[in-house]
Amino acid sequence: MKYIFKFPDIGEGLDEGTIVEWLVKKGQQVESGDSLVTMETDKVVADIPSPKTGTLSSLFGKEGETIHVGDALVEIELEGVEGEAAIEEVEKGSDMEAVEEEGAGVVGTLEIAGNNAVLSSSNEGVDETVEDKREVKIKSLATPVSRAIAKDLGVDINSVKGTGPAGRVMKNDILRFAESGNKPKALSSVSKTESVEQLVEVEPLSQMRKTIAKNMIQSKHNAAHMTVFDEVEISELDRVRKKFKEKYAAEGTKLTYLAFIIKAVALSLKKFKSLNSEMDMENSNMIYKKYYNIGIAVDTDKGLVVPVIKNADKLSVVEIANQIQLISEKARDSKLKMDDFKDGTFTITSYGSIGGMFAVPVINYPQAGILGIGRISKQPVVKDDKLDIGLMLPLSLSVDHRIADGGDATRFVNSIMEYLAEPVSLIF
Amino acid sequence: MKYDLIIIGSGPAGYVAAIRAGQVGLRTAIIEKENIGGMCLNWGCIPSKAVIESAKLYKKVLNDASEFGIDGIDNKRIRFNFNQATERANSIVTKLTKGVEFLLKKNGVEIIHGEAEITSENTITVNNRSLETKNIIVSTGTYIPELKTKHKNLVIELKELFKDRKLPNNVVVYGGNSTAVEMAQFFAMIGKKVTLAVPDKAILPLADVYLANYITKVLKKHKVDFIYDVDLLKLDKLYTDKKLSLNGKDVSCDVIINAQDRKAVVPKSKAKFEIENDFIKVDENCSTSVKGIYAIGDVNGLSKFAHIASAQGMFVVNSIKGIKSELDLKKYPMNMYTVPEIAQIGSTEAHLKSKGIDYKVSEFSLSANGKALTEGVAEGFIRILSEVKYGEVLGVQIAAANATDLIAEATAFMSVESTVYDVAKTVHAHPTISEVFMEASLDAFGEAIHK
Repeated sequence: MKYIFKFPDIGEGLDEGTIVEWLVKKGQQVESGDSLVTMETDKVVADIPSPKTGTLSSLFGKEGETIHVGDALVEIELEGVEGEAAIEEVEKGSDMEAVEEEGAGVVGTLEIAGNNAVLSSSNEGVDETVEDKREVKIKSLATPVSRAIAKDLGVDINSVKGTGPAGRVMKNDILRFAESGNKPKALSSVSKTESVEQLVEVEPLSQMRKTIAKNMIQSKHNAAHMTVFDEVEISELDRVRKKFKEKYAAEGTKLTYLAFIIKAVALSLKKFKSLNSEMDMENSNMIYKKYYNIGIAVDTDKGLVVPVIKNADKLSVVEIANQIQLISEKARDSKLKMDDFKDGTFTITSYGSIGGMFAVPVINYPQAGILGIGRISKQPVVKDDKLDIGLMLPLSLSVDHRIADGGDATRFVNSIMEYLAEPVSLIF
Repeated sequence: MKYDLIIIGSGPAGYVAAIRAGQVGLRTAIIEKENIGGMCLNWGCIPSKAVIESAKLYKKVLNDASEFGIDGIDNKRIRFNFNQATERANSIVTKLTKGVEFLLKKNGVEIIHGEAEITSENTITVNNRSLETKNIIVSTGTYIPELKTKHKNLVIELKELFKDRKLPNNVVVYGGNSTAVEMAQFFAMIGKKVTLAVPDKAILPLADVYLANYITKVLKKHKVDFIYDVDLLKLDKLYTDKKLSLNGKDVSCDVIINAQDRKAVVPKSKAKFEIENDFIKVDENCSTSVKGIYAIGDVNGLSKFAHIASAQGMFVVNSIKGIKSELDLKKYPMNMYTVPEIAQIGSTEAHLKSKGIDYKVSEFSLSANGKALTEGVAEGFIRILSEVKYGEVLGVQIAAANATDLIAEATAFMSVESTVYDVAKTVHAHPTISEVFMEASLDAFGEAIHK
């Protein structure tokens, strides 16, 4: 009996991935759980495990090739399995969706399709989270070929006006839409001359770069950005940190300023619910989240990733410091799993670690805000009418002005500043 | 009294346009100088299909009855009664034309019998009456160019065929279109000696070469002789003593069926619309060069098929009324009532090649279809031409006993730009001949079940 294993939807709305390396060969015997292939998706490089035990009769796709969710990855000859509806038709553009087993979205434990390989396109068996509901869209009337071409050209079929009967989107509508510049053209700002090859270097976009581009545009397009700047004097925080730094270093914990800041942010979010929310325009609702998961923007060789520290409000500063260390290492080694990115409610970006003073951060949409942290520096300050040396931490907070007004934003920054100025308050 | 629309000619273009016009509330008159229903109903599609059906039954009784388990038929006593066959055909014609007349009246269309003359872009004279109208549709159809001869009754055309007559034994059919091919096979089936005299180098210029070659073979099997590049302009010089000299070959000939390509019947008109290659020139909206005058059906030379004529009629009336509709001549089927029937829709291989489209041909034979075998009609095939990248079905060609009905499925799925994957996953009932669609689609990606 043959079983066709398709590239599973590994969450976060990813719809394609690039084959980095095949870890198996045709004809090879594999056990359920053995790694088959290393895939680079939008955000992670991950090994995809075999869902079944058997012999690999076919591998689909070459290294470097991009494949879509639902495309066949391997064909496994199952031994001793009878009467099981295991053969799937291989077809393009399948509506099949992954089922996350054991409630986990982690790549390593994911299995697609279970025993009954043919699934309906419903979301049965998948927990509907708040985000899932937001994704529900009206499916436009379109011909099969126009759907295939739209997918191929990266055209959002729902934004194409159909000219067919009853507004049906036809093949030519997609082609016209794509041609009319609704799709970014290569080398758009570079005139096509023979010497172009010497003047520019053309490199295909990586999955990660594509995702970053998509997310940034989505954010700038949907959220009404507004930014508040301030500075906080953190000599006391510096003193506390120095005092405990070596003690915890001996235990393997790197006690960073960021750990304190995350704690201050999490506690402040509890006081200002609008900053830990998102707006659901479609249903005219505000969604306030009662969990506080703080994403940290991490700069890697390949681009920006934003792993999440879950329930930061419930963790101590030291526990947060440990978590930061863990995810930073994973990020730089491209070992982050899908779960590490999920369910962030607020984001912190620390451009100061590279040297910047102020920046206007772009919101990690659909979150309501993002806090930027600048470079800490010694500055002249006035204390008790005397000039003194202060340790200044610049902060910039971008909020979605649709959700939070200037007053809320400023009060939220003030709260963070109070916590950081009086670090002892972070332990209460 | 002023009309919104006057239609000249009541064939499948004119009468459908008239009914549609009545439906949408246009004050409409239709003028007919002969019979309501025009060529198609009176002398074309309908009676010819009726007599072909008689011939098929005759052949089946003669050849297949005993094999199907029917004893007691004495083949020596079986005769084809042409007069009875045409009588049956004419009774069907009467029924249908009466029906059309009823529908015209029901939809408030005024029927005027007489010959029309367009006196200006807004006036028509008929029976010495001058009628004023906002729009004019010309749907006067076509005629067969005459073959001049001094020999009485030597040349007949389709219009004269379905009358009480005795059929001679040696028949020459002159033409290379589907009518000529159908007639050649018809006469061969009822036991006549048939020669198909083709004016060009090949038959069926609109069909895919594959289909044309296939049906040529079928006709040759029915003992039809083919002679190409024939010109009967100087017929009397070629015809002596019941022999017709065709390119140096003497062919026995008692009668010539004139089935040449037809030419437009241009009505008398003072409004001078342009004529191009013997047809009334129209733009993509079926408008002639004179504003307010439209030409639909085979008079405009876009197509000779009745269903396309009707579609043009609907389209033009909708545009007059301001209702948006579409006319895409590429998505109409072409049918031929041979045995087996031939049907085609969309692009031919030659067309795809000329456009440089990367295509794939997938095929399934009727000989592997259960229903076709039980009916004893396993002759034929289906071919699907699909685009390689997305699998869109770009053309379908069928040779099958019921090809002209089968093609309707292709028409439907092609109108929504379906791919071979869509057709393949559509469950087709078993046993039916329609299963060949599923199989041929699966074959497009190498997964046909019964191949």
